[in-house]
Amino acid sequence: MNPPQLPLRFFRWYCHPKLADYIEGDLLEEYGKRAREKGKWRAYLKFCWDVLLLFRPGIIRPMEGYKRVNTYGMYKNYFKISFRQLAKNKSFAFINMAGLTLGFTCFLLLALYVHDELSFDKFHRDAERIVRVMQHDKQEDGSIRAIAQVSPLLGQEAAVQFQEIEAACRMSAFGRVTLGNDPALRSYERIWSPDENFLQFFDFPLVEGNPATALKSPDAIVLTETLARKYFGNESALGKTIWSAFTREGKPVYLTVTGVMKDPPANSHLQVPILFSEATWPTMFPWYNEYVSMDWESSEYVTYLKLKPGADTQVLARKIDNLVKQNHPKDKDFKSTFSLMPLDEVHFHQDNAQDNELNANSIRPFYLYMFGAVAVLLLLIACLNYVNLSTAAALKRTHEIGTRKSLGAQKGQLVGQFVTDSLVLSVLALLLSLLFAQLMLPVINEFTGKSISLIDLPLPWVLATIGLIVLTGIVSALYPAFVSTRVSAVEALKREIKFGSRSLPVRKVLLTAQFAISIMMIASTLVIYRQLQFLRTKDLGFNHENLLVIDINSNRLRRNFEAVKSEFSRPAEVVSITTSTRVPGEWKGFPVPTVQKVGDSKGRDMIFVGIDKDFLETYDIKLLEGRTIEDPKADSMKIVLTQLAVQQLGLTDPIGQMIEMPVIRFGGSREILEQPFQVEVIGVVEDFHFESLRQEMMPVIFGAPNTVIQRIDYYTLRIKTTNWDQTLETLKAINMQLDADNPLEYTFLAARFEELYQADAKRGQIFLLFSLVIIAISCMGLFALVSYSVESRTKEIGVRKVLGASVSSIVSLVSREFLVLVVWAGLVGLPLAWYLMRTWLQDFAYRVTLGSATFLLALGLTGLIALLTIWLRTIRAATANPVHSLRSE
Amino acid sequence: MKKYQLGEFEEIVMLTIAILYKEAYGVAIKNEIETRLKRNVSMGAMHSALVRLEEKGYIKSFDGEATEDRMGRPKKYFQITALGKKAMEYTRETRNELWNAIPKVALDLIVVR
Repeated sequence: MNPPQLPLRFFRWYCHPKLADYIEGDLLEEYGKRAREKGKWRAYLKFCWDVLLLFRPGIIRPMEGYKRVNTYGMYKNYFKISFRQLAKNKSFAFINMAGLTLGFTCFLLLALYVHDELSFDKFHRDAERIVRVMQHDKQEDGSIRAIAQVSPLLGQEAAVQFQEIEAACRMSAFGRVTLGNDPALRSYERIWSPDENFLQFFDFPLVEGNPATALKSPDAIVLTETLARKYFGNESALGKTIWSAFTREGKPVYLTVTGVMKDPPANSHLQVPILFSEATWPTMFPWYNEYVSMDWESSEYVTYLKLKPGADTQVLARKIDNLVKQNHPKDKDFKSTFSLMPLDEVHFHQDNAQDNELNANSIRPFYLYMFGAVAVLLLLIACLNYVNLSTAAALKRTHEIGTRKSLGAQKGQLVGQFVTDSLVLSVLALLLSLLFAQLMLPVINEFTGKSISLIDLPLPWVLATIGLIVLTGIVSALYPAFVSTRVSAVEALKREIKFGSRSLPVRKVLLTAQFAISIMMIASTLVIYRQLQFLRTKDLGFNHENLLVIDINSNRLRRNFEAVKSEFSRPAEVVSITTSTRVPGEWKGFPVPTVQKVGDSKGRDMIFVGIDKDFLETYDIKLLEGRTIEDPKADSMKIVLTQLAVQQLGLTDPIGQMIEMPVIRFGGSREILEQPFQVEVIGVVEDFHFESLRQEMMPVIFGAPNTVIQRIDYYTLRIKTTNWDQTLETLKAINMQLDADNPLEYTFLAARFEELYQADAKRGQIFLLFSLVIIAISCMGLFALVSYSVESRTKEIGVRKVLGASVSSIVSLVSREFLVLVVWAGLVGLPLAWYLMRTWLQDFAYRVTLGSATFLLALGLTGLIALLTIWLRTIRAATANPVHSLRSE
Repeated sequence: MKKYQLGEFEEIVMLTIAILYKEAYGVAIKNEIETRLKRNVSMGAMHSALVRLEEKGYIKSFDGEATEDRMGRPKKYFQITALGKKAMEYTRETRNELWNAIPKVALDLIVVR
């Protein structure tokens, strides 16, 4: 009997597979009966008719296809198996999860950190159109100095003349002033005086006051919310007046609060303190108006320009060059060029020490790259570790794989199972690391002085991070998945694990890569710590311990310094006291005169410090020849040089020689003296470091206090005390008697020098932390690899023991092959560390030499840690009773 | 509210399944209805009724043998479930109740030609 094919095929196509078989049976049975009774042709027609009538709901297969229901079940089963696997191998799951979580957490935190650094100044509405004018001055020696300050007229004039500029805003960091209505609670506040359009130019919103008029009238100030709370409590500060140490016609100036500004966000390079209306200056200083409307030479004002869309910064910069050149005094050399720096790049330029106030928390891009690299390395290591552990774990699952294969599992399904396992683990690790990151953030913020939160991360970054981590899960699973699915079902079932040894080289390479990174990190950390140690202990040429520096903030302390000195030296704790214009580790700008022999035309830059007769004694600087400055008046045209200065000036018999200073540079501005300042050398002292050890040692010349160059600004006290609090109280009381208006401001010089390297110290700590994380993750990987190596050699170890091998010989047998890896890793990691650290050390004029000892120590340390990890596992195997291992057949 | 839902054709199918007892599979049910009631039953109508009844839980099925005239396709036998039995009884009772409620005269007056 021949059933009609076409309708039958149609029927098979539409019919619900569950029903198809027996309905088909019924149809065929009927067809056969009819064909016998009524002939083939009629039976055929009837058959077609039946098939057509069967085409009705209930019999047609569902649209979605009923098969998908089954696949859901399979996926569900994947997850079920995954969770069972985790629950079954708890220690494996823990190690793997810990490694991944640690890696992800660090990656997340670093991503947050890098994102925060990149987000600087992006919050201004017109951020993309704002540029900062940079001035590049050609120096005597041909080098170029970049400064962020320009002349007062540049911005205004450029905005008028060049149509691509929409607006200009300049400001000057005035320095500090004492503020406060209550004399007991006065303190020093930093002050900026910007153009009146500052609050409209930038987006620093006001809580109170009108941004358009707040900075217009004289004596107006705008406070941040924090400062408003400090001086006015919770009341509204708007319209209130506050006492200041400024004087006008002999009377203190009361300033009026015209606005309260939200505290600037932490990711702003302008950490705006108090804003002060520029209109106040002419009322105090008669020369001010002339200065700002005539001067094209000085470099005092930070100037920002808001450009119209599409403006060409290069072209505009050349126009500015010309503008300044035309207005520059004709009789003086013009050696400057200008450039326009986009606002979002400002954060990555540390221009010079004086700019720190106008570019808070700036960072060199090098560090950003480094942290970015560390983040990627961490993630990489966590992944390698994961791959390693999973491959090893797959060994244990050969039975399962064999069973699945013999039951007909496809390769894709096995891979699916592995990927699911991996995804479950990595998603769990992701959730955990989000939790840890959230918990860690307060600590990180405290440490970095930032205010990072997980929510700040914009959506694309969140998606990228999560995507990357999920991808990590998938990619990490692929290798073990393919390795373990390649084996034949029979091999897998017989537990004749051949692929374990085949995949070992790959796993060893992965492990070597991990250890290479670990060694690199450890070596780098060691170098950083050695350098920091070097900076702290290096002989600066003077004794900076127990030195207390008092800032002079008023004329009352400045005028009669001998009397002030005798007042301050009254307490027994004060061993000696001196006054000077500047102190080592200077935090304000210092004058750098060009010094030359009389008659010479080429001079050298040197640091000028005015001192009194007690300076050398207080600072412990050794006098080599001649005498020091003794009487401020009689010695006002005398000078003391450091050895380096003598050498640079080329003096053979320095005492009695005449030298002169024709030009003095102060911060960004150069002042050419009408008559060179001529002085006689009366003494030579030993060299000492005036600045941080990042800079090459500069020659120093000591002159009398209160010369034409600069007036005294500090008292330095050498103090010998056991109770610092009490000593400070005594000094504060003395200060109160001398000057009731201005509170005592003091600095410990040793702490000041420590501060110079604080950023480096923090980076050192961060490096240490990440090195620990990386070595921890690597050791987990090593541990896992060793345990599998040991497990697969259980029988061998048993036989060896039975034949009389000692524990130590077995341990060394297993350890040897892994220790070789560490050496290989060292060969890769150490050169990398050497290169990295050489780049970093170039920041310091004085640095440790990169000897091999540090690197060998790093290698040794890593080797030791690796050895301990290996022993932890092998000792157990080596001491186990061979009966157990040999019985395992 | 209807307690049990049973259409006219569905009722016939169930009754036939009950009549055939252990021999109730597709073609047998069809033939039984066709011979007893002298009406044509299409394969589609019957099978969709069977599917519906099984979904309602009134009948259950089990696979049977495959014979040669079915070209190896299995038979599927049907059986009435307890719920199905209740449904049938319920339908019958409601019919009887209605019959009993008819006044004698109402039908007497109608002359059947």
